[in-house]
Amino acid sequence: MKAKQRGFVLIAMSVTMLLLLAVIGLAFDLGRVYIARNEAQVFTDAAAMTAASKMDGTAAGIARADEAVAHLPMRWNLGTREFKGVIVEFSATGEKWERDPKDASAMTMARVTAPANQVEITFLRAAGGPDSMTVPARSTAASNPVRLVQ
Amino acid sequence: MSRFRMARAASRERGHAMLELAVSSAVMISCLAGTFQFGYTFYVYNQLVTAVGNGGRYAAQRTYRASSARDIEKGAQAIRNMVVYGDAQPAPGAQPIAANLTPEQVDVHWVTDGKNAPSAVDVSIREYKVDAVFKTFTFSGRPGVEFPFVGRYAPSEREP
Repeated sequence: MKAKQRGFVLIAMSVTMLLLLAVIGLAFDLGRVYIARNEAQVFTDAAAMTAASKMDGTAAGIARADEAVAHLPMRWNLGTREFKGVIVEFSATGEKWERDPKDASAMTMARVTAPANQVEITFLRAAGGPDSMTVPARSTAASNPVRLVQ
Repeated sequence: MSRFRMARAASRERGHAMLELAVSSAVMISCLAGTFQFGYTFYVYNQLVTAVGNGGRYAAQRTYRASSARDIEKGAQAIRNMVVYGDAQPAPGAQPIAANLTPEQVDVHWVTDGKNAPSAVDVSIREYKVDAVFKTFTFSGRPGVEFPFVGRYAPSEREP
């Protein structure tokens, strides 16, 4: 091998490995991110409907809505992790949202946000990608009749 | 360098190239097989999450007719069809949303109160195998959802 040719294989291998990691990362890491997003969206849909179904115009109904959402047996990350930091809010018109509304009788809508679903990135990180990606989801449901509105 | 030595050196280089190709091919094929395997499995799982979510929403808003056990089972079958085919009453020959998924692999469980009225519905996938060519993955109990029942409760009505 000539002196000028030495080192070329190393450079070519490095570039190829980087590209290979990027391709594996696209399939593996982005695949998990899309699943997490879908799982979170289905969860917030169910949670918003659950919260709206418990609202009955009383403060006790609001408390039952919070309680029911906290006990939904749904998980994310291929069904292995619990949803953390779930926010349940209520509104009369869909403009101003409150976690603990003073006038429970005026509330007609429930909104659930799952903000903290952090997917750890494995392969894309080695190719210059981020360490993790947060995949939030939010759904809004109206009560009486209970239905998803967004 | 004599002509004989140059010929031997060239032959040795060709041997090295073959060996490198064999080693790097094994690594590349393993990586690509793994990428396909997980990529395809994730794709199928994502479809199942969407299907189970659609089935759960449908079940939540559907009229729960409970004149007899047969009516409850007919309702559950409509929910299973919604998960598998995206349609409660699929046309003959309809294709499932995921390969080889059948209505029998969808669990529908009603959560009822003391008076047998439904308060929520659980929908999940049971014993579904994803054949990713190099390996088979089995999903049981997941993906699964629980939706509140917000439809009409008709204990004396019959399923059409």
